[in-house]
Amino acid sequence: MDGLDETIHQPIRLRLMAALTALSPSAEGLDFTRLKSLTGATDGNLGAHIDHLAREGYVEIAKAFVGKRPRTTVKASRAGRAAFARHVAFLKSIIAQT
Amino acid sequence: MTISSQEAGATLAEIDGIVARVKQSRLYRLTGGLLILWGAIVVAADVIGFVWPRWTVWTWAAANALGAAASFAMLRAGADVPPRLPWRFLAAFAVFVAFGLLWSVGFGRFGPRELDAFWPTLFLFGYALAGLWFGAAFAALGLGLSGLVLSGYLWSGEWFTLWLAAVNGGGFILCGLWMRRA
Repeated sequence: MDGLDETIHQPIRLRLMAALTALSPSAEGLDFTRLKSLTGATDGNLGAHIDHLAREGYVEIAKAFVGKRPRTTVKASRAGRAAFARHVAFLKSIIAQT
Repeated sequence: MTISSQEAGATLAEIDGIVARVKQSRLYRLTGGLLILWGAIVVAADVIGFVWPRWTVWTWAAANALGAAASFAMLRAGADVPPRLPWRFLAAFAVFVAFGLLWSVGFGRFGPRELDAFWPTLFLFGYALAGLWFGAAFAALGLGLSGLVLSGYLWSGEWFTLWLAAVNGGGFILCGLWMRRA
């Protein structure tokens, strides 16, 4: 059993990964506005945490324009899904031990 | 870094909460699109039925066929993976239609006004039931619009068909727009 993943365990990043892995791998991901409402983070804070997850290879970021508006979409990568599954298994193992 | 079992439990509960919100949001977004589609169909069919009452039956037959085909196309486009034919949904739809036909054409002695009230409230009853599983918005939609349809049946006089276009079709569109933003 792997230990605690400190990248994922941070509260905002945990909510991000929970939301993104709730979608099927073939889904297009969630946009920045939706993630902001799900995590309760500010724009700057959310952007920093998404960048952190992207540096770890846990998420993929796609930027596009819808009309004249920029749209950022974030999707969990395969590595991110595996890391999140390990993290959840670790949390469950802690509860099982007590 | 170590964490206690209480903290682990709280973290898992938070994950469950986020996952539930994402799934409900996806459901509301897809349903919102369908409600807008059916709202537009209801408005068009009721207006046509008001202007040319003799064509009401054929108008609704065409409207239902168009709506069913468009709904399936939207479900295919909106799903993460291409859906198989939704047998449970189709079976539930068939049961509602069979029940409706049994009473509206078979045993019941409904006039045109009663028929106009019966069919929308029958399907709105289905929405109210769906609310028990899929979220309070469905129950509010079913019960709220049923109340408006019945009030029109009782008090809207000869404008009942247009009343239905406004409150049933318009209500679907407004609820759909709200669901897409929720």
